[in-house]
Amino acid sequence: MDFPLSFWDISLWLAITAIILLITSELISPYYGKTNILINKRRIRNVSIIVSTLFLITVAIRIATIIISP
Amino acid sequence: MRIIINSKGLAIMTMLLLGTLSLIASIGYNSSILAFIGLGLVFWGAVLLYIRSEEYTKKGLLEAALSPSLTTLNQIIQELGYKGDAIYLPPKYFAIPETTKIYISKHKDTSLPTPEQVQKRENQPVARTMRGMLITPPGIQLSKLLEKSLGTSFIKTDLESLQQKLPKLFIENLEIAENLEIQAENDMTQRQEDYPASPTQMKSTTVHVKITKPIYGTIFKEAEEPSQITVSIGCPICSATAIAITKATGKPVRIVDTKRSEDGNIIEASYEIIEE
Repeated sequence: MDFPLSFWDISLWLAITAIILLITSELISPYYGKTNILINKRRIRNVSIIVSTLFLITVAIRIATIIISP
Repeated sequence: MRIIINSKGLAIMTMLLLGTLSLIASIGYNSSILAFIGLGLVFWGAVLLYIRSEEYTKKGLLEAALSPSLTTLNQIIQELGYKGDAIYLPPKYFAIPETTKIYISKHKDTSLPTPEQVQKRENQPVARTMRGMLITPPGIQLSKLLEKSLGTSFIKTDLESLQQKLPKLFIENLEIAENLEIQAENDMTQRQEDYPASPTQMKSTTVHVKITKPIYGTIFKEAEEPSQITVSIGCPICSATAIAITKATGKPVRIVDTKRSEDGNIIEASYEIIEE
């Protein structure tokens, strides 16, 4: 009864989610004049940055694993 | 965080519930597809819950609610016969810190009062004397909101810093305008007309502000016959900008010119920083 997703599955999921959130956050940015969407734009930007950072951490772990492993 | 059970709240709660069930089922059935579905539903449910809109009001309602107040203010000033320019006084004129008020002289081209004269009457909501009157600016609360968003008082900034921070505050933080350009212009001018007794060269600073698609852009369209005094006091956004400038520079500020496009999408205001 293990969780069926591996670390790399989660990394891929984080990458896709981060791309979706970053593009959304950029498209609804007040600097582009798309201010009609009634969501908290600052919060969506924060979420996209956090998810992107999490993905980058998984990438760093992967690189470290490659370097460390014989 | 308070969750209001409406259609949006219900959708979010359903996503979270289904996501959790799917994650539990994925462990039981050892299914990666169910795990991805569950992870997605829980994540997006949580994100939607977090990024839900703050409370918004339609722009038209704001303008309709504010317009009569400005008309009344205009009528009171006209009725009392104060004909001078509206001058935003910096906090150093007041005993209570962070206070900014507008001084309107009885006649045009009269000198500013001293801080001591102002402090005698600063606690009165509308302080009137034979020489002039003190009123609370229409943009005072907006300027406080800008300060709250900035995380510091405008008193602790200077004009250069204000030029950098104000566009971000207007566009990104409060989303009250689509664009804001602010430029300060220094010039050495001969001010013999204003100061005939001392025809020396005086350094004058004018700050030009161009606001694109602001809220309250059509406020004076709604107000009946805006007078010179209403224009020199300015709309709430122009007034809040004047407060920011007077606090940052610590000098009195006068709105010398306000131009509006026909559709109210562009406001150009010029502020003169008065050298004492």
